[in-house]
Amino acid sequence: MDYLGQLLANGLVLGAIYALAAVAFTLVYGVVRLVNFAFGELFMLGAFLTASLMLPEVRLLGTIVPMPGFSLPVAAMGAITLTAALGVLVDRIAYRPLRNAPRLAPLITSIAVSVVLQSLAQTIWGAEELRFPEFYLATLPPVVLFDSIYLSVMDLVVMATALAAMLGLSAFIARSSLGRAMRASAEDQMAATLVGIPVNRVVAAAFAIGSGFAALAGLLYAQTYGFAHSSMGFLPGLKALTAAVLGGIGSIPGAALGGLILGLVEALGSGYLPNGTAWKDAISFVLLVGLLYLRPQGLLGKPELNSAGRGSLLGGASEFGAAWLRTSFAKVDGALARAAAGGPRAALALLALAILVGALVPSDYWLRILTMVVIYGMLASGLNVIVGFAGLLDLGFVAFWAVGSYLTSILFVLVLKDQFGVAPADIWWLLYLNLPLAGLLAAGFAVLLGTPTLRLRGDYLAIMTLGFGEIVRVVAINWMDLTNGPMGIRGIPAPNLFGIALGSPRAQFFFALALAVLVVFAIARLVRSYVGRAWVAIREDEEAAEAMGVPTARYKLYAYAASGFVGGFVGVFYAHSQQYISPLNFSLFENILLLMLVVLGGLGTFVGPFVGALIWIVFLQLALDLPFVQAYPETRFALLGVVLIVLMVFRPQGLAASARVALTMPGARPGARRVKEVA
Amino acid sequence: MRAPSPTPLLQARAITVRFGGLEAVGNLDMAIGRNAIHGLIGPNGAGKTTVLNVLTGFVRPTEGELVFDGAEIGGIGVNGFARRGLARTFQNIRLFGAMTVLESVLVGAHQRFSANALSLVFGRRAARDAEAAMIARAYELLAFVGLGAEVADRVATTLSYGHQRRVEIARALISSPKLLLLDEPLAGMNAVEKAEIADLVRQVRAQGIAVLLIEHDMQVVRRLCDHLTVLEYGRKLADGPPEEVLADPAVQAAYLGRAR
Ligand SMILES: Nc1ncnc2c1ncn2[C@@H]1O[C@H](COP(=O)(O)OP(=O)(O)OP(=O)(O)O)[C@@H](O)[C@H]1O
Ligand SMILES: [Mg+2]
Repeated sequence: MDYLGQLLANGLVLGAIYALAAVAFTLVYGVVRLVNFAFGELFMLGAFLTASLMLPEVRLLGTIVPMPGFSLPVAAMGAITLTAALGVLVDRIAYRPLRNAPRLAPLITSIAVSVVLQSLAQTIWGAEELRFPEFYLATLPPVVLFDSIYLSVMDLVVMATALAAMLGLSAFIARSSLGRAMRASAEDQMAATLVGIPVNRVVAAAFAIGSGFAALAGLLYAQTYGFAHSSMGFLPGLKALTAAVLGGIGSIPGAALGGLILGLVEALGSGYLPNGTAWKDAISFVLLVGLLYLRPQGLLGKPELNSAGRGSLLGGASEFGAAWLRTSFAKVDGALARAAAGGPRAALALLALAILVGALVPSDYWLRILTMVVIYGMLASGLNVIVGFAGLLDLGFVAFWAVGSYLTSILFVLVLKDQFGVAPADIWWLLYLNLPLAGLLAAGFAVLLGTPTLRLRGDYLAIMTLGFGEIVRVVAINWMDLTNGPMGIRGIPAPNLFGIALGSPRAQFFFALALAVLVVFAIARLVRSYVGRAWVAIREDEEAAEAMGVPTARYKLYAYAASGFVGGFVGVFYAHSQQYISPLNFSLFENILLLMLVVLGGLGTFVGPFVGALIWIVFLQLALDLPFVQAYPETRFALLGVVLIVLMVFRPQGLAASARVALTMPGARPGARRVKEVA
Repeated sequence: MRAPSPTPLLQARAITVRFGGLEAVGNLDMAIGRNAIHGLIGPNGAGKTTVLNVLTGFVRPTEGELVFDGAEIGGIGVNGFARRGLARTFQNIRLFGAMTVLESVLVGAHQRFSANALSLVFGRRAARDAEAAMIARAYELLAFVGLGAEVADRVATTLSYGHQRRVEIARALISSPKLLLLDEPLAGMNAVEKAEIADLVRQVRAQGIAVLLIEHDMQVVRRLCDHLTVLEYGRKLADGPPEEVLADPAVQAAYLGRAR
């Protein structure tokens, strides 16, 4: 009983924090139908700003800066105000231009904003934890309830603050004209504009309040755990989103309820399940996935929020942007269109170029980097099938990659070598068997994960796939017997062909290139057929596709399967080329990175993923020569985020957009026939 | 003994559709004959599009049943309706963005393809032949709806409004439907274009495909249709041969002051 009581008390404190952050998601979603992933980072900034304002001095960008040393309440007010202003600014720059764009665009931008804010925070405050200064209330002795439940005074303050903030917000929404306008535009944006509510002002207010709530949640969280860190917002952000979805996104009482439920479930789960603390993150995501499957509208939500507008990023070209920007894109387009018109000849020329580079580059260092380019290009190609062609945002793609890598590593190292003492060189051929096997396994897995998402669209789909990806990662970390846990698996043999070791960087590059040819060839064959046409039709207008006789559910699963197959297939080679894997290789950040590479290069093209990978990975290396980047390596990721936001606003089709692929089989056109017969 | 009258191609029985409190269609009985050009007319908001949505599976009727080609249909998903032979166009054109005219039309032929993933990846002969056959058919249909082969590789949404309508019709026809349902295909067209599309509808019927046509222009309806159903406030106001129906005082009253 005492134990239970203590767990419940802890759960309530945690739940209060989740509830506050969940309000941020729910408020903005209600008004602009946007899942602003960046709230996790605003949460983190709230913590950093409060801590900084409380300290006498802080090290910012490596220099000691004197600080006012406010008390917690004053510092918190300052931090909340600053974060609220930042939230409004982010909306103005990154989201407002995309208000009428396809839903995928602001979703991707919000992920990019997260990356920017997190990298900037790391640049400014450094990679280490910032200790949260102690507030004098925290030095008081804990309150004891029922003789046995200990609650610190600060825990009580956290709960009281959360309660006060919630009640204040409810009163604001019910009473003030701005609050009522907010509710009106949450009900119906179109109608709200018609009756003369200045929607932009309402949206700005929602962002300000939401960001303030996120900051408040963040500073309370940091206060409770005693530190601030640049990546601290990530998991709580996802949990808060889960809480918002749990309660029914768009509903404020729902967010409060969802936050409390999640806090309690997590506290009880980590207290009672065997090895519960390790699995507590998985608990939230299992809850999320199960809920989205059974009741996508959440406990108190409305079902119509699970909808997506028609159209895709590729359907219409964006007309924004300065003239010089458009002319330079037009030049890129011209060159690419000419290359694409070259068809197979252009593809062969590209391949020849890659072979030439692989043969001539003298340094092992650069060969390794180029191998990474090819690997990431292949992975991004796999993701491109589902995101670029079928138009379904998948944030759990890394799971398929992990399946492939782990399958081959477990077989080679943990089973055959450790259990049976088989030398990897004796079973070199197993690698070639594992490639398609892992592909099939991952494809099966993808269908399994895809099936429950079929009823979901747009944002909910992204959230659910994200939940799956996280579950897989948590399993990989905690299922020690199967995966070796966080230590990862070492000693994975390099590829080998008939006893010839292919471990040298050059051999690996050509191995990767050969696989890339297979991957692109297979994807191209599928895309340039009725399957690809069905995918693109689903992307552009799901209902119209159905009306043309396309069983859209089945073709979505095909897209998942194809993308999963590529992920598993490439994962096998990845493991053998790295010779060491750990759950860290398969984080959500990797998934986001792959997504960004696809968007950068061009969704729905064959070269785009490779263009994106080449630009990014080469830039990542070259930039290291700049002194500024040497001092602050994270700024590169901030730049990637900025580039993505700019692309989304000015050029959502990506750089290589006019390498638009034909969706008919080459050689099946009557024109082509005739040419062949003559020749 | 009398010869049994041929069963209609499509029978809608006691169809009611409610959206929340609004009754968009009320207790509608309707039969579309084989090889008919069946007009569905009525003032704005009468429920015509909703009826078409019911007949193509887009809207599940609150009450009532559908019998198509001798079998009851329902619960088969929108794509199931298309597979049974019901093809449609949309009142607001819905072509796929970023697809060329040829590709868009080929999406309509989806159910004609059957190659599996392996034969696609390995480029098997059968898969290639099926593709070539459907491409040839798509070119035929483009010519049939009055579009030259030169538009085949243009992005469909960049064509003129009239041409987009024709692409939509070609996309619907390539599945070789038994019934083609057209939602105001003449809207926004000039007299010449209207005559061309009307002619096209006749040719479609000549190929043995029945047509359901929603249209506001009474001149066209009178000349083109062999049967009319008139809706008002979701209820059937009149049903029968055009001459009879259009002479009906109730129909004229419904249109007075409200006709376009
Ligand atoms: N999905 C829907 N939800 C709610 N109401 C709807 C829906 N679809 C149609 N309605 C309503 O049903 C009624 C009939 O609409 P419908 O579009 O079928 O009319 P229509 O005869 O096609 O009109 P028009 O000539 O303008 O095309 C209208 O009042 C419309 O607002
Ligand atoms: Mg209509």
